[in-house]
Amino acid sequence: MTPNAASASSGPSRRSFLASTAVATAAVAGGMPLLAACGGSDSGEREGTTSGKAADKLLPAFVASTVANPDLPSKNGSASGYTGKVDLAALKTSVPEKLGTGAPIKIMSPFWGSPPKAGCAYYKALDAAAGTKITWQNQDGNTYGQKLGAVLASSSIPDMVVVPSWELVGKISNAVTAKFMDLGPYLAGDKVKKYPNLAAIPSDAWRMGIFGGALRGIPMPAATANWIAPLYRKDVFDKKGYSVPKSADEFMSWAKEATSAKAKVWACGDMTWSAWSFFGVRGSGSIGWDIGSDGKLTYRIEQPEYLEALEWVRKLYDAGVVHPDDKARSGDPGQRFTAGQTLVWCTNIADWYGKVSEQAQSNPDLVIDAMDLFGADGGNPKLYASSPATIWSLIRKGASKTTVENALAAADFSAAPYGTKERMLVDYGVEGTHYTVKDGVPVKNDLGNSEVLNAWVMLAAPAAYYAHPDFPEVARKQVEWQQRMGAFMKKTSTFGMNIVEPTRWANLSSQFEQLEIDYVRGNRKLSDVQAAISTWKSSGGDKLRDWYKELIDKNGSAN
Amino acid sequence: MSLNTQLVRSLKAPARPVWEEPPSKAGITAKSGFLALCCLGVLGPLWIVIVTSLSPKPVIDRVGGLVVIPQGITFVNYTELLSGGQVSRAIMVSVGVTLTGTVFSMAVSVLAAYGLSRPGSLGHRLFLVIMMATMFFGAGLIPTYLLVQSLGLTDTYLSLILPSAVSVFNILVLRAFFMGISPELTESARIDGAGDLRILLTIIMPLSRAVLAVISLFYAVGYWSAWFNASIYLSDQDMMPLQNVLIQLVQKNTANPTGLQQAVRTGQLSALGLQMAVMVLALIPVAVASPFVQRHFKKGMLTGAVKG
Amino acid sequence: MSLTAGSRPDGTRPPAAVEEPTAAVGAAVAKARVPRKTSKVSKAGKVPFRVRLRRDRALILMTLPVILLLLLFNYVPLLGNVVAFQDYDPYISSNGVTAIFHSPWVGVEQFSRMVDDPLFWGAAKNTVLLFALQLVLFFPIPIALALLINSVIRPRVRAVAQAIMYLPHFFSWVLVVTVFQQIFGGAGIIAQTLEDHGWTGFDLMTNASLFKYLVTAQAVWKDAGWGIIVFLAALAAVSTDLYEAAAMDGAGRWRRMWHVTLPALRPVIALLLVLRVGDALSVGFEQFLLQRDAVGVGASEVLDTYVWNMGIQNGDFSYAAAVGLVKGAIGICLVLGANKFAHLLGEQGVYQK
Repeated sequence: MTPNAASASSGPSRRSFLASTAVATAAVAGGMPLLAACGGSDSGEREGTTSGKAADKLLPAFVASTVANPDLPSKNGSASGYTGKVDLAALKTSVPEKLGTGAPIKIMSPFWGSPPKAGCAYYKALDAAAGTKITWQNQDGNTYGQKLGAVLASSSIPDMVVVPSWELVGKISNAVTAKFMDLGPYLAGDKVKKYPNLAAIPSDAWRMGIFGGALRGIPMPAATANWIAPLYRKDVFDKKGYSVPKSADEFMSWAKEATSAKAKVWACGDMTWSAWSFFGVRGSGSIGWDIGSDGKLTYRIEQPEYLEALEWVRKLYDAGVVHPDDKARSGDPGQRFTAGQTLVWCTNIADWYGKVSEQAQSNPDLVIDAMDLFGADGGNPKLYASSPATIWSLIRKGASKTTVENALAAADFSAAPYGTKERMLVDYGVEGTHYTVKDGVPVKNDLGNSEVLNAWVMLAAPAAYYAHPDFPEVARKQVEWQQRMGAFMKKTSTFGMNIVEPTRWANLSSQFEQLEIDYVRGNRKLSDVQAAISTWKSSGGDKLRDWYKELIDKNGSAN
Repeated sequence: MSLNTQLVRSLKAPARPVWEEPPSKAGITAKSGFLALCCLGVLGPLWIVIVTSLSPKPVIDRVGGLVVIPQGITFVNYTELLSGGQVSRAIMVSVGVTLTGTVFSMAVSVLAAYGLSRPGSLGHRLFLVIMMATMFFGAGLIPTYLLVQSLGLTDTYLSLILPSAVSVFNILVLRAFFMGISPELTESARIDGAGDLRILLTIIMPLSRAVLAVISLFYAVGYWSAWFNASIYLSDQDMMPLQNVLIQLVQKNTANPTGLQQAVRTGQLSALGLQMAVMVLALIPVAVASPFVQRHFKKGMLTGAVKG
Repeated sequence: MSLTAGSRPDGTRPPAAVEEPTAAVGAAVAKARVPRKTSKVSKAGKVPFRVRLRRDRALILMTLPVILLLLLFNYVPLLGNVVAFQDYDPYISSNGVTAIFHSPWVGVEQFSRMVDDPLFWGAAKNTVLLFALQLVLFFPIPIALALLINSVIRPRVRAVAQAIMYLPHFFSWVLVVTVFQQIFGGAGIIAQTLEDHGWTGFDLMTNASLFKYLVTAQAVWKDAGWGIIVFLAALAAVSTDLYEAAAMDGAGRWRRMWHVTLPALRPVIALLLVLRVGDALSVGFEQFLLQRDAVGVGASEVLDTYVWNMGIQNGDFSYAAAVGLVKGAIGICLVLGANKFAHLLGEQGVYQK
C-alpha cells in the first residue's frame, strides 16, 4: 500500500462527520482556536426522569465557572461565543495550584496530523504548568479504531485512553465497561470540587460518561443544537440575485436555475444530512428512538419523513444539480465550495470559520453564510437535539490512586474555560515561543504550528464556545445560527442517556447508511429501502424496540 | 559505482545480432507507436499530478481540483514537506528498515527457495504446503497484535520487519527460477565435492541475477511502502517511517479540511497540492531503483555461461 | 555431458538429462517433464528415511528459517481463527487470548449467517465476475508488454519505456481514482469537452453497469507495467544462442517468439496463473472501497470489502473470521485445481505431483 491509503478507510459519512467534530475541536486554523461544536450548556433540564436521580448520584456536582463570561451566552443548546480580543494581562487563573504530583502517566489518543516529538517545548510547558509527567501515545486518527481494538484486547492498556463515540462499534462498547475504572470515588458529588474546571462541565455531558452503571468517561462536551449546516456562498447569491430558499420545493427550483454544467457550477454537494433537518428525521443511534405523540416508540427509519427526505435528495441527484464528484464521493467537497463549483455545502458549522480564515488571503471576496434550516413544506423545521458528548477520556482499571489523580489533573487543565491562562497555554502554547499577540489577535509561529496540536485538547473541554479573535463576526454568526435553530429543537426520549445496545443487535442498523448513500445516487430502488426497513423490524428491530421501551419505562423519558 | 559506466554503455549504439533480420518499416512504426501510446497513457496523468503539486494555492483553489494546465509554479509544497527535520529523520528510518529488511528477507527466502528446489527432497512437499496455506488463510489483527506484543516487539523496529519478512509468493517465484537452472551444472559441482551452500552461492545465485534483482526489488518496495504495521505496533512518533509521516502530513480524515496539517491551516498551502507532492515523492525510489534493476535484464546475458 | 545413474552417493538417479541440448540452457524450456520422472523414481526407489535425511539435511536446514518465521508469525495467530465458531468478545476477559475461553461457542452459526446473507452472495458474485474479467483482460497484458519490450533492441528505449511503465504501480489507489475522476468523471476533462460541443451527461465514474470494465481498466493502468518485471527476468535468462540456432534453422521473427521466447516464459506464466487462480477471491480492496459510493454496493461489493465492512467496521470478529476461513478454503481448492490443470498441460505449477 502507498501513502494516502489510510484515507480510504474514512468510512461512512456518519463516522467522518463525527470525526470532524474532533478535528474541528483540535484544529487551530490561522493560528486561531477553532474550538467548536463541543458544547451543551443548559444542564440538568431533563424532566420526568426517574433515572435522573439514580444517575445524579453518580454525577459530579455542577459548579459553574465564573472566570470569564461569554459575550454571547449559550441559548437553546447553542455554543456560547466570545467576540472580544485577547488581552494577555487580563487572563484569569482557573487552576490556582498544580494538581499533578509529577508521577509519570501514559496517555493514548487519536491524532490527526503530525504529532510533535516527545519532550517538545509545548509538552514540557504544559507538564510544568499542570504538574504532570505525560508520555503521549499519539495514534493515527484514521487507524485509531483498529489500534484501540487491539490495545484493549491486550493486557497492557495505557493509563488514560481517549475514546471517540464513533469507534464504539460492536463489542468495544462493552470493553469500555470492562477495561476502564469507575471514577465515582474521585469525582462524584462534591469530590469534583478539587477539579474546578471539571466541575464546570455541564451535567448533561457528564451523564453521557456513565458506562455500565458507573461514571467512567470524562466527556468532551458538545453543543446539542444543530452543528451540521448548509453553508452557502453569499457572495455568489448576492451577485446573481438569488434569494435563499425557504422550502424543499424552492430549493429544488433554485438549484435547477443555479446549475450550469457548462460553466462548471453545480447548486450543491450531497444534501442528505441537511435533508434530515428539513424533513425532521432524527439522528442515528440511540438518539434516533423517540416516543411520538401517539405514544408509539419508533426508530428514525420508521418515520415517514425518513423516506420523504431520501426521495427529495434523490430528486436533486436525478435533476443533475449535485456536483458529479459528490455523486462519486471523490475529492474534497470543501475545495469545490471555495472554488465556486458548488454553491451550497452541507457540513460541520466549524468549517465556516475554517474556510473564511483559509481563503482570507487568496480569495478575499468570498463570503460565507449559513442557510437557516427550513421545514420541507416551508414552515418551521422540526429539529432534534444531538448528543451532549461524543468523545471521552477514560482511565484504565487498576490504575493507582496517584495515576488517577494525575490523569484528572491533566483533564482539569484541558477543561479550562476561554479567557484563562490555562486555556491559552493549551490552545496556543507559550507566548513568545509558540505565538505572539498583535492587536489582540494571537498568531502562532512555525514552532507553534508544529507543536501545539490536538493532544491536550482531547482530554476534556469546557462547555462549547466559539471564539475567533481574527474573525469575531464569524463566531457571532455561528452562535446566532445555533440559537435560531435551537429554538425549533426538541429532545428525543433517549436524549442524554449513554445507551449501550445489546451486542446481538449492535450491527442491526449499520446497513442503512450505505443504503441511503446508494439510494439517493440512484443505485438502489425505493423498494430496496422499504424492504430493508421491514427486514430490520423482523430480524431484531421489534425486539430492540421492546428493549428500548423497557429501558425508557425504567429510566423515564427524556422529553 | 558502476551506474555511470552502465549508463555510458547503454548509450552506445546497440548491436543487432547478425542472424536477426532487420525489422520492417511497418513493424517499427507499429511497435514504437504502441510503446509511445503506453508511455503517454502513464505520463499524461503523471503530468497532472506534477503540475498540481507545483501549482500555487490560488490556482488550485480556482480550479477546484487537479490542475491540468500550469498557471504559475511554486516549490512550496516540497519545501514544506521536507523542512522541519521530521521527514529527514523518517527517511533514515525507512532506509534503515528497507535495507535491513530486504537483506534479511532475501537471505531467508533464497535459502528456502533453494532448499525446496530439488525435486524429491525430504519434506519439501510438507514445507510447501505449510508455506502455501499462509497465502490463503490470514489471521485477524487482534491475535497478530497480541503475539507481536507478547514477543516484546511492539515499539521496536523488528515489528516492522519480522512479521512481514517472508513473502511466500516471492519464494515460489525464486524457486521456479532456481529449478529452471539445468541440474547438470549443479551435479558436476557436486561431484567435485561442493556442498549445497557453495552450489547456491557459486552457481545458482550468479546465474539468477535477474530474478534476484526482481525479488529484492519486490521486498524493498514492500518495506518502503508499508505503513500499517508501524501505525499499529509503534507508538513513539520519533520511530515512525516515512510513509506514516507523509500520511500524517497530508492527512485528510474528514469532511473537515481544517484538520489538515499546520501549513494548510495557515492558508498558504493547498491540501491537494501537498498530497500530490507526496505522490511525486513516493515515485523517487522507483527512479532510484530502476537503473539498478534494469542492468540485470539485458537480453541473453547468460550467453556462454551455461552452455551444455 | 549427461550424468549416469549412481553418480550420487545415495544411489538415486539424478534428474534425467534433458533431451535437446539447447533446452538445457538456463531457461527451463522443457523442465516440466523432468521433475515428474524424478519424483516417481524416488518414490519407487523407497530410499530409507534416514538416508534421505542425511542426504537432504542441508536443504532442510536452509528451509527452516522461513518455516519457523511462518509458524511463529502466521500459524500461531491463525489459531485465533477458532473464534469463527464463537461469538467472540475479545474484551470479556483480561486479554484477547483468555477471552477465547470465556466467549460462548456457537458452532456454525456464523457460517449459516453468511449463507443466509444476500449481501454475501452479491459480493461473491461480483468477485467471481471481476476475477474472470481480470483474468481475460488483465493477465495477458504484462506478458504481451514484456515480449514487446524484449523485442526492442535499443537499450535506452527499453530502459525508458520500462521505467515509465513501472511508475503507476507506485501511485496509491486514492490517487488513481482521483485522476480517473478528473478525466472521466461528470465534471472531468472529457465531460467538459463534450459539454462544450453540446453533449451532456457524460459520467463514466458513476455508471454501475460499466463499473466492471472501469475497475479492470484502472487495474491495467496501475499494475500492468509493474507486472512485466518478472517476465523480463525470465526473458533475461534465455540465451541468445537459442535464438541464433533457431534463426539458423530458418525460423523467422514470429516463429522464434513461438518456439524460443514463449516456452521460456511458460513455467513462470503457469506459476503466476496458478497463484492468481488461487487468489481469485481477492480482486482488490481499496480500489473498490473508494468507489463503492459512486456506483453502489450492488455493483462494487466484493468479498474483501464485505469482510471489512462486516468484520472490521462493525467489530464483528467472529463473522470476519468465518468468512476468512471460507475464503481460504476456497482459495486452497482453487490452487490445487489450477495446479492439477497445469500438470495436465505438462507444466510444473507450484509444486509437482
